[in-house]
Amino acid sequence: MSQNAYLPKLGRIAAIKEEVAGARAIKTFRIEFVNGDGFEHDCGQCAMISVFGKGESMISIASAPHIKDYKQFSIMRTGRVTTALHDLNVGDVVGVRGPYGNKFPVKDWKGKNLIFIGGGCGLAPIWPVVQTAVKDRGQFGKITVFYGGRSSRDIMYRNELEKLRGDVDVHLSIDAQEEGWDGYCGFVPANVMTKAPKADNAIAITCGPPIMIKYVIQNLKDLGFEDDMIYTTIENKMKCGIGKCGRCNVGKDYVCVNGPVYSWAALKDLPQEY
Amino acid sequence: MEKMLNKADLAAWMGKLDSHRLFSPALEDEDVWNYMPVDDAAKVQLNHPNTVRPPKGFVFPQREVLYEYSQVPGEAPVLNETLPDPAPAVVFGVRPCDSRGLVRQDIVFTKEYEDPYYHGRRAKVIYVGQACNAPPSANCFCMSVGGSPSAEDGLDVLMTELDGKYHVKALTPRGADLLAKGGDLFKDAQSSDKAAVEKAHAQAKAHPQRPIKDLGKVAGALKANFDSPAWDEMAKACIGCGICTFLCPTCHCFDISDEVKCSSPCKGERVRTWDTCQFPDFTMHTSGHNPRETLGSRLRQRVCHKFLYFVENHDTQQCTGCGRCVSLCPVGIDIVSVVERLGQP
Repeated sequence: MSQNAYLPKLGRIAAIKEEVAGARAIKTFRIEFVNGDGFEHDCGQCAMISVFGKGESMISIASAPHIKDYKQFSIMRTGRVTTALHDLNVGDVVGVRGPYGNKFPVKDWKGKNLIFIGGGCGLAPIWPVVQTAVKDRGQFGKITVFYGGRSSRDIMYRNELEKLRGDVDVHLSIDAQEEGWDGYCGFVPANVMTKAPKADNAIAITCGPPIMIKYVIQNLKDLGFEDDMIYTTIENKMKCGIGKCGRCNVGKDYVCVNGPVYSWAALKDLPQEY
Repeated sequence: MEKMLNKADLAAWMGKLDSHRLFSPALEDEDVWNYMPVDDAAKVQLNHPNTVRPPKGFVFPQREVLYEYSQVPGEAPVLNETLPDPAPAVVFGVRPCDSRGLVRQDIVFTKEYEDPYYHGRRAKVIYVGQACNAPPSANCFCMSVGGSPSAEDGLDVLMTELDGKYHVKALTPRGADLLAKGGDLFKDAQSSDKAAVEKAHAQAKAHPQRPIKDLGKVAGALKANFDSPAWDEMAKACIGCGICTFLCPTCHCFDISDEVKCSSPCKGERVRTWDTCQFPDFTMHTSGHNPRETLGSRLRQRVCHKFLYFVENHDTQQCTGCGRCVSLCPVGIDIVSVVERLGQP
């Protein structure tokens, strides 16, 4: 963290990929720090991205820590700052400050089966863990990825997910039937129940809309997953990133410092208001 | 260091502190007392009731520029850090509840990361406290939350009004420096003076205050009552104006936003401004999901932050019993009554 945590570093957009088009567009930005003035991060951490004149938004870092050349952010166009980001071009410079928050305890998961469960834009916060697990494939057991979008046009990281097949079990879903779709139709929590991953020696990592996460956790519990085998992230509204502004406060925690990564064992002890 | 100062010499002492900006409670309008610059030390009287605004703004202003930005199209932005470097200031007449509020702010702005804007101002402001001889507000409850009318926490100097004199106690080196600047105006406190101060402090403590029973059990009871329907019931009258938090000496929540001065080329300021958990958009995600969308859930957040979460994190309440949120709530929501109802086992 820099001496003045409120002052961003500058990052140049090196590449932009359109993941999802339409009203809920998602773009993936690769950002390289200007003059090499960057920072390292851990899986699960976030950064504040600035578009000067518009403001800042807390965004999950969607690239794995072993990727040093750039940080990747997959951002849905929803508000003032994210809309401004979507209007930027390769070569434009934004502000980046961070990294903020805790991390997924990936090192503790060696030898375990990993089950990733994402929905919508919620694949981005857990993607660094997927990338890390695939890079260190021999250190983990079976890897499974569940991911669902509203429709086939809402599937982010489509090419990357297809490339994982073979090494990784990939189960894609969309909410309602479409012609030509041969994957699962229905909500992500239901897809998880259909495939019923085994809880033995497993860790489940989930992120998506709050309602999805709640049902996923409930279903994982029904499948025999213990509270400390389930991990998720809380993407509360955040501003300062350093536990001062109070916006992301839940119970005694400031999610920007004590989160965003929580095991269900820890999360269930917080007030259920997130 | 304990000294005595004749009341008639207060202005002369202030006159010797002219290397500092001086502030003291003064009538801003009718019965509205607030901290104002001392333009005529002879007019200063330290027998004020609670100021409407606590003195937190001296170190944590309502609006503060974090940095300036400018960006010419096609070029990288230029950022100009604007760390504060204010002239030294002395704030007179700080009530012990408000100085205890400053100590709570210090915890927030120091823990894990020392906020350079807060501490840049904090280092330049000297607090001269004024012990209460009687509760300055009908809703005072400092003693119910571990304070006292003569608490010294957070102060550099504590003054106690006696008959025709002030007992002036330096509590920090910079407080001692202030007294040293007064030179011969101060006389050493004698044992009779010290006895008079002790008596005055004891009398102030004997004044009745709003009580909170079993303070040690409040946090646990609030936790147990988290899902009580009483939160919504008690918040029914709330209009969500946020005055309870804006005027609280311990509330510290803020927003960070851009103020644009020119859109082409892009120029402006990144500012932080006070914000409040009592506003519905405080926690609303851009997706529309809002973890605290009801008035009851927001009242619960305010009370639980002060009497449960802050206690869990720092072993002390984030409330110093100044009573402003009770006295100045436009619809009469009363934190003491809320704690009496939901914070009791």
